Amino acid sequence: MRTASIRPRCVCARSDLRFATAAMGTRFEIVIETAAAESQHDVHWRAVGEAAIAEIERLHRQLSFFAKDSLVSHINRTALSAPVRLDVDTFSLLQDAQAVWRLSDGAFDVTRGSGMDRVILDENARTVSFGCDGISIDLGGIAKGHAVDRAAAILREHGVTRALVHGGTSSVAAVGSPAGSPQGWTIALAPSGTTVTLSDETLSVSSGAMREHIVDPSTGAFIKGPRIAAVTGPSARLGDAWSTAVAVLGARPARMDSEWQTIIEAYD
Amino acid sequence: MTDTDRRTFIAQTAGSMAAIALFPEYVFSAPIIGERLRKVAVIGVGAQGRDIIEQIMKLGSVEVAAVCDVLPTRVKAGQDRAAGAEGFADYRDIFGKRTDIEAVLIATPTHLHTQIVRDAVAAKKHIYCEAPIAHTPDDARAIAAAAATNAGRVFQAGLIARSNPLNKRVRSLIRSDSVRDIVLMYAQHHHKTSGRFPVPAGATDADINWRLNPDVSIGLAGEHGTHAIDFMRYVRSSEPARVTGRGITRLWNDGRKLPDTVQFTMEWVDEVAFDFSATLANSYGGEHQIAYGTNSAVKSAVTHAWYFKEADAATQGWEVYASRQQFGADEGIVLLADATQLAAQGLLKEGIGLEHPPLYYALADYIKSIDENLPVVATAEDAMKSTIAGIAAHKAVMSRAVQAL
Repeated sequence: MRTASIRPRCVCARSDLRFATAAMGTRFEIVIETAAAESQHDVHWRAVGEAAIAEIERLHRQLSFFAKDSLVSHINRTALSAPVRLDVDTFSLLQDAQAVWRLSDGAFDVTRGSGMDRVILDENARTVSFGCDGISIDLGGIAKGHAVDRAAAILREHGVTRALVHGGTSSVAAVGSPAGSPQGWTIALAPSGTTVTLSDETLSVSSGAMREHIVDPSTGAFIKGPRIAAVTGPSARLGDAWSTAVAVLGARPARMDSEWQTIIEAYD
Repeated sequence: MTDTDRRTFIAQTAGSMAAIALFPEYVFSAPIIGERLRKVAVIGVGAQGRDIIEQIMKLGSVEVAAVCDVLPTRVKAGQDRAAGAEGFADYRDIFGKRTDIEAVLIATPTHLHTQIVRDAVAAKKHIYCEAPIAHTPDDARAIAAAAATNAGRVFQAGLIARSNPLNKRVRSLIRSDSVRDIVLMYAQHHHKTSGRFPVPAGATDADINWRLNPDVSIGLAGEHGTHAIDFMRYVRSSEPARVTGRGITRLWNDGRKLPDTVQFTMEWVDEVAFDFSATLANSYGGEHQIAYGTNSAVKSAVTHAWYFKEADAATQGWEVYASRQQFGADEGIVLLADATQLAAQGLLKEGIGLEHPPLYYALADYIKSIDENLPVVATAEDAMKSTIAGIAAHKAVMSRAVQAL
C-alpha cells in the first residue's frame, strides 16, 4: 500500500556529515552540511552530530509505549496512585499534547482510555497524574517530532547553521538552508511529488492510507482520511500532533494557528 | 520524623511490607503520608549525572535538592530535570551551606572522584560514587579507606550489575548445578561512536573529552572492563590473578592516543579465563556477559537474560514455566527476575525484561541501605578490587605486557 512519506532532496556539492539511527520504529537521519574549508573542524561537527543522535536514542528509550522500562511505561503504571515528577522537556511535551487535543477538539489524543481531560498536569510541582482508572498515554503521535526538535536544538546549540534532521517518513526539521539554495531544503511528498521548501522550519506528514496506524479518538476506528495530511510550521512535535489531527478530521482544524500551513491531498 | 523514628515506623509496618513486596513499584513511587523526603545532591551533571537524576526522581521518598557542575549549562540541565533543585558550581558549597542534604551521588569524571569522596566523608554524607571509582590503584585504595572511616554512613559504588534483579537470578544459576563448573567467561561492550562529545562554550576539550586523554583516562578496558570484571566477581567465588591485552585504532583515526578497539584476557586464580572486548567501531551484540559451564551457558544482556542448556543436562523444575527464544541453532530459556512470583500471578509472559533501567535498581538499593540500614550492595572494598583490576587491564592493553593482580 502506497503511503505518504517525505523524500528529502539533499544535493550537497560540499562535504557533509551524515548520521543515522534506528529509533521509534523508524530510521532517523541527520545531515550536517559543512564547507570544504571547515573540514578541519570535522571532529567537532561529528561530535555534535553524535550528540544529536544520542539524544534521539535517549528519547526513544524514555518515550516508548512498548518498552517496560521507559518513562512512559512508568507513568502508565504509577500516575493513578501518585503524581509522577517530570523533567522540563517531558512536561512541556505533555502540555503541548494537551493543547493540541484541546484546539483540535480531541482529534489528536495521546491517551488510550478515558481521554486527555483526565490527565492532570501540575505546573508548580511539574508532575503528571491520572484522574481515573483505565487511562494510559501513548506518545507515538508526537514523540518523533519531539526527537527531531531536540536533535535540531542540539545542532543549533553547538553552532550548526545548515542541517537537516528527519525521523523516518513523517517528520523533518530544517536548520538554515543549504549552501547555494538560500530558499531552503527541498522536500518531496510521496506519492504525489508535491514539493515543500524549508528553511528553519519543520514539516510533518500523516496519512490516512496507513489504515492500521491512526485511530479517530471520537469513534475508536482507524481513519480513512486524506492520502496526505501535512503541516509546516515552527515545531516538529507540534507539527506531528497537528498533522495527525488533520488526518483524522480530513480538514484543517478551525482553531489551528495561522503560523501553520497545511497540505491536504485526497485520493484520486 | 527523625531517622530513628523512620526506622521504627518501617519496622512496625513490616507485616504490610510483605504484602506489597510483590509490587515493588508501589513501595518506591508512593510517598508514605507523613514521611519526610530524603534530600540528596548530584555532583557532576554530564550524561550519567542526568540519568541518575531521572531515575532517582522515580523514588517518591527522595528529593534532588541540589545539583552541581563546573559548567553552568549542565547545572541548568540538572535543574531542568529536578524541579526546585539549587544549583552549585562548587560541591564544597553544598557541604558548607546545605546541612539538610544527607546524601550525595558523585558522577564527575573518574579522576576527580577521590577528593570529592574525602570531602563528603568529612561532611558525614552518605555517598554513591560512580564506578570505576578511580583512575589509579592508589586512589582506589584511598577511596576505600576513606569510606571505611565514615561510620554509620553508606558508601555504595555504581557497580549497577549487582543491583540488577536479573543478575541476581543469573548469579543463583551460576552458583548452582544448573551451570556447574565454569569453563570460560566472556563479556563485551560494543557501541559504534567516536566517543567524543562537543565542547560547549566555557569548557575545554580536557574537561569534556577526558575519556580520550591518556593522562587521566583508563580507556575502554578500564571504564567498561571494570564493570564486566565486577560482574564476573559478583557471580563467581573467585578473583582475577593476571591479565594480558591489546588495543588498536580501527576507525577513529582522528589523532587520538587511546585505541578504539581493545581486548583483554584475565585469568582467574582457579585458572578460568575471562575474555573481554570493547570497541567504538561496531555495535553488534552491544553489552553482554556470558558464563560457559559444563551443564549450560548463561547470557546476561543488561535487561534480558537466557540460559542455554547442554543436551545432557538434567531438566530443572522451573523450566516448565519458562519461555524460549531461538538464536540460530541454540534455544535460549528466558530468565525472569521474579519467575516464581510471576508464575503465581499468571504474569510470566509479561515479566520478560525489566520494569526500570538497571541504574534505577542501584539507586533504589542505595536509598534502601540508608533508610533501612541494609547491607550495601556494591561496597567500597568490591569497587576497589574491581577498579584496580580494570586499571590493570588498561595497562595490559597499552603495554601488551602481562599485568599481575
